[in-house]
Amino acid sequence: MTVKTKPVPATLQMFLLDKAKKRPERFSLLHPQVVSSMGGLRDSLAQATKDTLWVSYEKDLTEALLKTVLGPPRSLGKALLIHALNPLSIPALTSCFKRFASASNKDFLPPDELAEALQAENSSDLFIGGSLDPANQTITLWRGSLEPLTVPFSAFEKSGDGIEPDFDRFSVTDSGQTVRFGDYEAAADAVLYEFDPEYRRRVSKERQKSERTFGASLRRLRKQRGLRREDFEPNVAAKTIARIEQGLVQRIQKDTLNSIADRLRVKPEEIETY
Amino acid sequence: MTILRGTRAWRISLRTGEFMDRQPDPADVPDEIIDHIKSEENWTLLCDQWDEKYPANPVHEHDDNDGE
Repeated sequence: MTVKTKPVPATLQMFLLDKAKKRPERFSLLHPQVVSSMGGLRDSLAQATKDTLWVSYEKDLTEALLKTVLGPPRSLGKALLIHALNPLSIPALTSCFKRFASASNKDFLPPDELAEALQAENSSDLFIGGSLDPANQTITLWRGSLEPLTVPFSAFEKSGDGIEPDFDRFSVTDSGQTVRFGDYEAAADAVLYEFDPEYRRRVSKERQKSERTFGASLRRLRKQRGLRREDFEPNVAAKTIARIEQGLVQRIQKDTLNSIADRLRVKPEEIETY
Repeated sequence: MTILRGTRAWRISLRTGEFMDRQPDPADVPDEIIDHIKSEENWTLLCDQWDEKYPANPVHEHDDNDGE
């Protein structure tokens, strides 16, 4: 299978605040500059811009970073804090970063999947982690863009086969495409579709656009004529018709197109107008 | 049903067998995977599991009997 990944923009700068020896290599997709000491922190701050991405697994380095930022508030970019957070630090973090997300290590994707989700073209449609608030019965899911989406527990209804969400066993999996609560799974796109009107608008528009493909037009016209896929045989195999309708055929042979058009009683160029 | 690979997902309708979205490109999914999914045994299993999980929205009710 061809795997298309978005090339990391040359301007993307990532600092990884981490003292673990092996974890940084799991972020290699993002080419991070690893910071594990105070000295490194000062150098990083000097280089940081409003587009920098900070990922910190070390509470003491995050706190040291906040202490080191002197002068008026400035945007150091975005921060992903994968450690316990002192709630009193939130105002300072808000003034330093244009966006930040925070949760414990177990509530984020593992490093390699996290790196993949952060650099994905559709990063804002993936959930990289989340924070549960049992008192208010909500979960805040963090998107790859570090934007939050807060969803009530009640959104995760018992499935037809009787599986209920176990909110004590939260995780995100499948590179951010699935939210899990124990054995219960919810697709990220389903959650976004339900709770993010902007996502819903965008997806609806894309789906309407998809429906204007040649394959969709062919299927509509075939149905209109009351034909089965087998009715195009022997000139065109039913399997070929299916593949065209599914968008699996990029270039249709002229003879095939003419045969299909004849059977549908239209000119070849008219098919896509249906 | 959805095929997941990394950060990409391809949705296939259990009612029509068609890819539901133009992006990501359906052509990126190898034929072997499509054939595996659409083998009679696996397709039936997927449809049955869907109906079990979502009894209020079953896929079997919507067969249009046109040989698809």
